[in-house]
Amino acid sequence: MKTLIKSAALAALTAGLMTSVAALPAAAETLKFVSWQVDDGGMGDWWKAAIEKFEAEHPGVTIEFTKVERASYADTMTTLFAGGQPPHIVHLASFEYQNFAENGWMENLDPWLEKDGIDLAGWAGQGTCRWNDETACIMMLYFGFMMAYNPQILADANVEVPTNYEEFLDAARATTKDLNGDGITDQFGTGHETKGGAGQYLTEMLNYILDAGAYWTDKDGNITIDTPEMVEGLTRWKTVVEEGLTPVDMSAGDVRKLFADGKIAMRLDGPWLYGTMEEGAAADVLEVAKPPFNPPLGGSSNVLGMASEISDEQKELVWDFIKITMSPEFQRSYATVAGNTPPSPAADVSGVEKDVPHFQIIVDTQKAAAAAGIDRIPTGLEIQYGEFGKMVQEEVQRMLIEDLDPADVVKTMQEKAEAIQNG
Amino acid sequence: MKRSPLQTFLLYACVVVTLVIILFPVYWLIVTALSTTVELSGLPPSFWPEMPQWGVFTKVWNERPIPLWLLNSALAALGSVALSMVVSVLAGYALSRFNVRGGHGLGLFILTAKMLPATLLVIPLFAIFRQLGMIGNLWTLVLAHATLIIPFTTWMLKGYFDTIPRELEQAAMVDGCSPLGALWRVILPVSTPGLAATALYAFVLSWADYAYARTFLINSQDSWTANLGIATMRGEYTTDWNEISAAAVFVALPIIIIYLFLERYLVGGLTAGAEK
Amino acid sequence: MSKSGIFDLARPSRQHILGYLLLAPAVFLVLLIIAYPLLISLDLSFQDVKLPRIGETRKPFTLTNYQRLFSSSEFWMACWVTLKLVAAVTVGSLIVGVSTALLVNQRFAGRTLARIAVALPWAVPEVIAVVIFAWIFDSSFGLMSWILVKLGLADGMVAWMSTPGAAFWALTVTMIWKGFPFVSIMTLAGLQSIPTDYYAAAKVDGANALQRFRWITIPCLMPVLGVTLVLVMLWVFRDFSIIKVLTEGGPLKSTQTLSIMTYDQAFGFFKFGYASAVGIVTLIICVVASLAMLGRGSKALY
Repeated sequence: MKTLIKSAALAALTAGLMTSVAALPAAAETLKFVSWQVDDGGMGDWWKAAIEKFEAEHPGVTIEFTKVERASYADTMTTLFAGGQPPHIVHLASFEYQNFAENGWMENLDPWLEKDGIDLAGWAGQGTCRWNDETACIMMLYFGFMMAYNPQILADANVEVPTNYEEFLDAARATTKDLNGDGITDQFGTGHETKGGAGQYLTEMLNYILDAGAYWTDKDGNITIDTPEMVEGLTRWKTVVEEGLTPVDMSAGDVRKLFADGKIAMRLDGPWLYGTMEEGAAADVLEVAKPPFNPPLGGSSNVLGMASEISDEQKELVWDFIKITMSPEFQRSYATVAGNTPPSPAADVSGVEKDVPHFQIIVDTQKAAAAAGIDRIPTGLEIQYGEFGKMVQEEVQRMLIEDLDPADVVKTMQEKAEAIQNG
Repeated sequence: MKRSPLQTFLLYACVVVTLVIILFPVYWLIVTALSTTVELSGLPPSFWPEMPQWGVFTKVWNERPIPLWLLNSALAALGSVALSMVVSVLAGYALSRFNVRGGHGLGLFILTAKMLPATLLVIPLFAIFRQLGMIGNLWTLVLAHATLIIPFTTWMLKGYFDTIPRELEQAAMVDGCSPLGALWRVILPVSTPGLAATALYAFVLSWADYAYARTFLINSQDSWTANLGIATMRGEYTTDWNEISAAAVFVALPIIIIYLFLERYLVGGLTAGAEK
Repeated sequence: MSKSGIFDLARPSRQHILGYLLLAPAVFLVLLIIAYPLLISLDLSFQDVKLPRIGETRKPFTLTNYQRLFSSSEFWMACWVTLKLVAAVTVGSLIVGVSTALLVNQRFAGRTLARIAVALPWAVPEVIAVVIFAWIFDSSFGLMSWILVKLGLADGMVAWMSTPGAAFWALTVTMIWKGFPFVSIMTLAGLQSIPTDYYAAAKVDGANALQRFRWITIPCLMPVLGVTLVLVMLWVFRDFSIIKVLTEGGPLKSTQTLSIMTYDQAFGFFKFGYASAVGIVTLIICVVASLAMLGRGSKALY
């Protein structure tokens, strides 16, 4: 009896382990598509609609749409490419695709665009997709920042919605409070990520740095950190963090939740903040305004491309899928379904503001940021962005921990950035 | 030996204080699952939510394929337990009983599996398993997990076998037992605590894996393990920690049950040891 | 399988052959899963390569990676941090693990439950454990700061993750919590295998509890504890997920271990050649450390 149970268990185990082999799809062709946006309310629905349309137009072809969480995304994609099995449809953040393109792993899309006579003039952020004089990808999103705020907190502190940095700082100071009197701050004027990845840390700082008129590099890729403007930008960041106007050591995700639950007065963020706002405890009161900073922070977000080493038939199919996402129909639903600003200049976004009340604001800041040529990825440091970001984050943290003078910090950063750029 | 009332009191006091400290984070996990985000980000911290959100458990269970994830994790873990037990009993016995030349070196070589940073293993392993056509297959996980388990279990079982007097099996071999027969009939029965600990270790290690599952099972949602499933519950912009915590409770439960079951055997060694 | 064949192998002169046969499966698995990646990493560490493609032609041989490594202060800092963390977590886990095992080895009502409770942190997946501790060590609403403030040990909320010393200790506490149950379970299993008549005999000889612990319990636990400690040590050396999520190696690299450095260089900065060099050096340090601990331990024992 005992042996019978044992062998039955063994058989079940073997069968279970093998199912994954047996379950291989029988379809004629399967395109692999990995993304971190599968479960994201708006974006996930938008991708799924595009896949549905593609599959309806290509009977027998299926797209396998799998989620890999953002935190492990770059690692996983690196493993897939380096291990020799990249996904057919390549979805990457706009600050990480460059290393893949540099290795020749992404198909040059110029011939495909030419073949179909597609002109990308005016396509927001598409310049970021040019790599080594080729079009390595299509920009999916170029966004502008907005400022979401909590009118109740502002009214309680008797301050108006700020329209410039000085007013913003005053409002943040006035709304940072210890509500229950236990000596610990429990309501914050604003909120920034100050722990975690360098990418987000730099993005949060850029709000102040851009407004101070500074940036990491110029258009030719020369490092421009050692400037009076950058000193001013860093001083602002130091002020906000040191005065405790933001909760410390929080990830951006937790800051967004705090804001949505009504414990932060003002939060500068991209259009995606809206989804979190709607779910929080303070959802009914929160409002959105133009950011008080000029130029507003904007930037490219994510790109779509194809792997270079797949068969020509597969490339045709992937290209068809990319074209669907670029079609006027899907560029419009990028706004209506996903609540984002579509990059296509031809996208018809009329009437979107009925569903997404702040839509005009993010369209305006997207245009303002694009006009000022703003992006989070500095020209001339694309390949080294990971290392550069980590260096900047560390030097800024050193400035905060050891209370260093921003005027000295910019000199160190300039030196180190040049060393990184020269490899 | 009888304890005095004071000793008894001190013993219980120690036990209670220790358990409170050790269990507090687990308790906090449950509180996190049952709280709203507003309650979590407030001071003073609330030690029990005012309105426990029990619905979060049913919500997570209904929205995610948790039974499937648990089944996959269980299959991978049981496979790893079986494979690593067989391999490490043999290897541990060899290291303990046979004067294999360079045995110590081989033993250390096996231990290298625990020394190379996982970061460097992932890409080459992916390439091997791709060439073997094993990507997306739970067997791949079993092989990879077993390799992580065997170094420890081999050394641990060698330690156990070393404490068992050689006279026991010599007597058996005089009676006509082969060395393997002696291992099976004499050594293993008195090594129950070691074997139970080995099985537990193997199970927990396989159950806790995330990195290998992330790499090898990427494109096959049907074979996702529990930890991989939980990881995919993280969003790009925000994460619902209460839902993840609830899912984590489901994932921790099977290990507790396994431990409940194996604990007896860990204790069972008491009598076996007394007979030695 | 002929009986005489096995008997042949059982003969003292042939025993080592059987020994090798028994070791073969373990060695084969390790060769398959470890040796190949190891060779690849070794090969990459001698090339100036950013993002590799397995199976492509290799780049010219160079020692640049190692030269850069040994002349970089970052590497020596990572070595120092790793050493500190390994020492703190291993010693902490040993103390907490052995004392909890001795505690739940006593007879008392609810002992089984207590044993399960002690093992519980082990069952909580690392990814989840880190999330719990991240909340506890949160700098704005965390419980730990609040307790310290209430006890009068801190003036205000502690900025755990942006104070180098605090971040290191937060990390150490988290890792001990995750690491001690393993020591505890192994000690418990070890305690069970000590024959009770050893204690009875010692009592007859008039040994007190402390002497019995020193002369019976500790020596009997040594074989198990030795391997267990090496395993805990290697776990800290290699751990990646706890540090990555809790501190990312910061602030100011105060928690950047060799394993985090390897990861950052490889997947963060796409310098696989350099990362492989860090990994190989880590491996060598691990081999030397394990040799020192196991070699000595095992010789002293028998």
